[in-house]
Amino acid sequence: MKNPLCTGFENPVGVSRRSFLNSFGMGLGGIALGSMMNKAGASNVSLGGQQMFPNFAPKAKRVIYLFQSGAPSQMDLFDHKPRLNAEHGQELPESVRDGQRLTGMSTNQASFPLAGSPFKFKQHGESGATLSELLPYTAGVADELCFIKTMYTEAINHGPGVTMMQTGSQFPGRPTIGAWGSYGLGSLNENLPSYVVLVTKEGGGQPITSRYWDSGFLPGKHDGVLFTPSKDAVLYLNSPEGISKGSRREVIDALQKLHEIQLAKTSDPALETQIAQYEMAYRMQSSVPDVTDFSDESESTLKLYGDDVRTPGTYAYNCLMARRLAEKGVRHIQLFHRDWDAHAGLPKAIQGQCKLTDQPSAALVKDLKMRGLLEDTLVIWGGEFGRTNYCQGKMTKDDFGRDHHPRCFTQWMAGGGVKPGYTHGSTDEYGYSIEKDPVHVHDFHATLQHLLGVDHEKLTFKYQGRHFRLTDVHGKVVKQILA
Amino acid sequence: MLVAEEEISFNRDIRPILSDRCFKCHGPDAENQKSDFRLDTEKHAHADLGGYFGIVPGNLEKSEVHHLIHTDDEDEVMPPKDSNLSLSAHEKKLLDSWIKQGAKFEKHWSLKPLPQNVPVPEKISDWSRNEIDRFVEAGFVKHDVKAADEISPEKWLRRVSFDLTGLPPTTEEISAYLADTSPEASEKVVNRLLDSTQYAERMTSEWLDVARYSDSYGYQRDRERFVWPWRDWVIKAFRENMPYDQFATLQIAGDLLPDATTETILPTAFNRLHGHEMEGGIVLEEYRMEYIADRAQTFSSAFLGLTMECCRCHDHKYDPLPTRDYYSLGAFFANIEESGLISYFTDATPTPAMPISTPEADAEMTAAEPQIAAGEAKLTALRNAPETRMVFENWLGKRPSLDWPGLVADLSFDVIEDGKLLNSVAPNSPATTPPANTLVPGKNGQAIHFTGDDPLILPKVGHFSREHPYSASFWARPHAITARENFFSRSHGGDDAASIGYEFLLLDGKPTASVIHFWPGNAIRVQAKQALKPGEWQHLAMSYDGSSKAAGLSIYLNGEPLELEIIVDHLTGQTTEWTMDMKDIVLGERYRDRGFINGEMDDFRFFDRRIVDAEARQLFDQTYLADLLAKNAAELSESDRGELYDYFLATAYDPYRLAAGELAAARKRWNDAMDPLPSITIMRELPEPKPSFVLTRGAYDSHGEPVTADTPTALPPFPTDQPNNRLGLARWLTQPDHPLTARVTVNRYWQMIFGNGIVSTPEDFGSQGSLPTHPELLDWLARDFVEHDWDLHHLLGQMVLSSTYRQSTVTDAATREMDPENAFLCRGNNRRLTGEMIRDNALAVSGLLVDKIGGPPVKPYELAVSFEPQVPDKGDGLYRRSLYTLWKRNAPAPMLVTFDAPKRDVCSLRRATTTSPLQSLVTLNGPQFIEASRVLAAKLMRTHGGDHEALIKEAFLILTSREIQAEEATILNGLHATQLADFSANPEQAASLLETGEAPVPSDLPLAELATNTVLINTMMNFDESLNQR
Repeated sequence: MKNPLCTGFENPVGVSRRSFLNSFGMGLGGIALGSMMNKAGASNVSLGGQQMFPNFAPKAKRVIYLFQSGAPSQMDLFDHKPRLNAEHGQELPESVRDGQRLTGMSTNQASFPLAGSPFKFKQHGESGATLSELLPYTAGVADELCFIKTMYTEAINHGPGVTMMQTGSQFPGRPTIGAWGSYGLGSLNENLPSYVVLVTKEGGGQPITSRYWDSGFLPGKHDGVLFTPSKDAVLYLNSPEGISKGSRREVIDALQKLHEIQLAKTSDPALETQIAQYEMAYRMQSSVPDVTDFSDESESTLKLYGDDVRTPGTYAYNCLMARRLAEKGVRHIQLFHRDWDAHAGLPKAIQGQCKLTDQPSAALVKDLKMRGLLEDTLVIWGGEFGRTNYCQGKMTKDDFGRDHHPRCFTQWMAGGGVKPGYTHGSTDEYGYSIEKDPVHVHDFHATLQHLLGVDHEKLTFKYQGRHFRLTDVHGKVVKQILA
Repeated sequence: MLVAEEEISFNRDIRPILSDRCFKCHGPDAENQKSDFRLDTEKHAHADLGGYFGIVPGNLEKSEVHHLIHTDDEDEVMPPKDSNLSLSAHEKKLLDSWIKQGAKFEKHWSLKPLPQNVPVPEKISDWSRNEIDRFVEAGFVKHDVKAADEISPEKWLRRVSFDLTGLPPTTEEISAYLADTSPEASEKVVNRLLDSTQYAERMTSEWLDVARYSDSYGYQRDRERFVWPWRDWVIKAFRENMPYDQFATLQIAGDLLPDATTETILPTAFNRLHGHEMEGGIVLEEYRMEYIADRAQTFSSAFLGLTMECCRCHDHKYDPLPTRDYYSLGAFFANIEESGLISYFTDATPTPAMPISTPEADAEMTAAEPQIAAGEAKLTALRNAPETRMVFENWLGKRPSLDWPGLVADLSFDVIEDGKLLNSVAPNSPATTPPANTLVPGKNGQAIHFTGDDPLILPKVGHFSREHPYSASFWARPHAITARENFFSRSHGGDDAASIGYEFLLLDGKPTASVIHFWPGNAIRVQAKQALKPGEWQHLAMSYDGSSKAAGLSIYLNGEPLELEIIVDHLTGQTTEWTMDMKDIVLGERYRDRGFINGEMDDFRFFDRRIVDAEARQLFDQTYLADLLAKNAAELSESDRGELYDYFLATAYDPYRLAAGELAAARKRWNDAMDPLPSITIMRELPEPKPSFVLTRGAYDSHGEPVTADTPTALPPFPTDQPNNRLGLARWLTQPDHPLTARVTVNRYWQMIFGNGIVSTPEDFGSQGSLPTHPELLDWLARDFVEHDWDLHHLLGQMVLSSTYRQSTVTDAATREMDPENAFLCRGNNRRLTGEMIRDNALAVSGLLVDKIGGPPVKPYELAVSFEPQVPDKGDGLYRRSLYTLWKRNAPAPMLVTFDAPKRDVCSLRRATTTSPLQSLVTLNGPQFIEASRVLAAKLMRTHGGDHEALIKEAFLILTSREIQAEEATILNGLHATQLADFSANPEQAASLLETGEAPVPSDLPLAELATNTVLINTMMNFDESLNQR
């Protein structure tokens, strides 16, 4: 048998399931459910190959990734650059730009005037992290956060940029971070998917696509499962109108009896899976509504997240939902919030965005901390790239825009084994290039997997003759940010 | 399994080990050798490495390989500790035996030519029905296994009906087959199925995955696109049982056939079904390279079963495929006029594109064409008519004064007031500019200095469609010569509007005039061979005659016509429709383009007709034409008269101007017929190949050595008697002895019929792929396929009529343990129906299925809950077969995706089947399934009245194709009783259940009964045997 690395899903059923069950003394339902929900240690990776994940003790059991799509402006939020204010309106020195490629939107501009941030910056907490006045709530949890000021990417446009952050490649077709986690580590629960996606309802700007939570070439069950703020949080979750819970139970029981007859006749292990599949579907019909029903949340918790939390589909609502999913053992919770793409009218737009996101993001960190979940939950906040220090389009007295900037941007992480109250790396005084400790997207991915107890070079999947991994052929764990 | 004495086969036993554990560092990748020792060829492996040897044939002791794989020294052992690779004891033993037996290498099995003859094993028993079985049974004997039981006739009928048509057999078909006792009964069924449109739809459904078909452009915007005529062509090709070599050739190169027609060009849309990026700001070349790569990779996966993507950045680490081969293959697919960015601000189809005409439009264009020809002839006739000469002489004699009819804008740039500049021929419509553009001393009085970022807008003039002539003239002083500067345009903008409209630019300093529908493939453009000088005032004029031909564009420098190069000459689309209100001519700037940065302009004039040479000269020197007109007629030279005659015709002779108007009207008639036609992306080869290069590490802008189109070096050479283009490539591909084409194809169809390929990695026939479980059978099938003229009916027919196909999936535990992957083919494979089949089955059994063939994609219920929800269709669109469901790459049909349909971002030759509770939710709760259950329930209630046991019995037969067993009936009858009690007690619940779906609810059936039977049928729809091929 050819199986050098974790080549993954060659055929888990290949090893006789019956002998497997017998030799490991596991219950029938347990293993069938395990293989279906990809429970850790019971499925593809351990059966198909010689590797077991995690490779070492994980610091984080789960991930909540608050993706800020459209690219927030780092120099208006985190990366304070007084020099830009001093030289506001003056031309970006050619020596700073250094011939880097610009997007097709501003590359033809005749002039690149520097734009200082109109917002005030202050140091916060014992760690003294510098933050803009737009982030008062984030400032309140600054000592829990680890700021990486030196993220960089090759992508200069949204589609490729988000795809890069989620899959390690700018082009469609590779698995997303959460799919790798689901594939490699399996699920932590038996009633919910292991990879759940929440998208802020409405909001303009660059579109979000379902490709951003795709399983790529991994088996389709590792796709992220989108929870929507509608009647059916999951596709066709609820029984049709007129079907009561009791009626549904009767149907499932009848089906199971029919399947057991088949199983008895054929001894085909596939029937065991079939039985488990329907049982699980039945359970999800109540476990999902349970997790999406906020009525058991205290008033003080709701207050922590702000008023928006009461409106399904808002960013605040999704942040609280993320905490609830984390509690129930969802491995990877992926939020998408968009409309950070301020090519014009940035000062006004960014205030609006911060109003929607600052309080809930900070509340999530606080809430996790209070419940003792922060230490093994990795929270990530960031977008697909940064924004330019120069103005795109026309600069007026109190208005300007910023174009895309891949050469540096800020992202923060919290909990799950990262160093709290720490700032990593620095950019030059124009906020244009990285000065110290660059962190590439691949490095970020390597670090993320490391925190989950996974050696990023070992978690691979063979597809079209090649062993693929999240970090492609790159990526170094950023040791300095580990707690 | 392998006994020590058995002879080692390099391809079977050794290559997989070397490929997987050794080639990464000791393989064919020239760049990435960790050591000088290479194991990819016999010559390399046996080479003298300076007194020692990696391998000495027959001598273990002298072979370093033997020592290094066995050593306990952690620093020495191969594969190295840190590689995460290791060898099992068995594998080490195999390698040792191989060295002892002489360490012979063999060419990789799939690269060897397809054998001329493959002997069929003797028939062993009556189990064998045909040749396939004789190969398979020989394997049984060798491995000491037995065939599984034969499935019942009705289960065979169910299996073959789904496999060939994607639909279940009807109960009538089951009865008919069971009643047919003739020896040809099965064959008759197979012929009936193959000769059906449903077969063509099923085959098409599978090909859509291969072709990465989607009804949207993908990437970020994912707007819908018009490509379904290609899908309908595929259905037609399968319906006609087009030979597969022709099917491939037309899709690869139908445009290059000597007698190419729209019918043969349409299939080439296959190449362009990749995603197209619409996100403004991307680097165009990066994406153009991506599209070329996608086409080449799709070609190699689909037809060659080779994973070319590996060699995009480096030589293939496992197969003899150098990077150069990758880009040489790509060069076949590079030679079209395409843009890396498609148009956000217009709905133009990315070029090259082909309009799909209608009989009405054809008739209209056919009628317009002679009118255009007549219009052109009339102008020539008028020009040559003696009568015109007489009128001209008469006109000359009257000493006409210089006049500028058709001058619609005249800007002197002498004064700006409140951002307004006077247009002296239309004082009420001044031009406007932001204050950043300023007046400076110019050629005549003041001139305007442009920043390049600030538009000077000239309102209301030049709003012309492409049959309308126009001209412009001005003085210009470029600040510097750069790659691109815009003088003026009427357009929405540059790249992300596909440069629609008309424009006059400087490209590398060379004046360039264009009229554009979609740049670069649907446009006309001419460019001066000569560049302007920076820092000097120069006079420019341009004119266009409304012909939609490059020859109809002229450019003048300082009054003299310039020698022009025709860059593109293919304009068939409208040039005036875009999504935002930017309708006016803009000078000095352009949206998302480079303006006339720090350039200066003076005396801009715009005409709504074509100016003649003498006028261009007059506009430059202010005297030429005026002087001529002032001369006494007798003093004029022949050439003076010629210039004046042109001027006379253009400006003073009404019959000529009327004729020009008629010509424009005829052109408009043709254009108006053409413009509404939808276009489809196709291939249209450029006369000269585009330059292609090896791209270092795959980076779009990192050109390595230049390459020309060529096939991979490890495969047969490109035929010398074929053109070096895609047509030659298709002929090369379909040559009868090609090592891969037929093998890859029969293997894919074997997978479709049996669930697993003979090579279980249909997309990878290289050394990292699986080995064939039955190599001789694969070769025999491939040769037989070629000899039967690539006849798919023949190929599939012999598969489904074999005994191998008739085996039950049931086997004993010992066999399952010994052969977990069914490599011996001694049972049937468990297969879940595809998502398409599951849905189509529900529609078919209920009678809801609308069997209309082809046409635009439809929106069934599930699209209402897709990631980008769409309003579902009403009526027929809800009940069409699933291959017609609108496929959006970024929000694919959620039910189909839940059942493992690929997203179709890339060519996909195999669907992984996964099991998930999310699937059960779809079939238990999805409105398509509830509605189908209800409609079938109502239908059966009409047949069986209140006899629910009979109803259950028939429903079970419909849904599983077999009779219900007593214990099964007991369970379902029990369910009927409890459900009926529930619904009778809660009639409002029954009523609300029945509301699901658009199909009308019969008012004459008892609601509680109908609801109960709906639940019963839905339960049976979720029964294992109705969803799976067991």
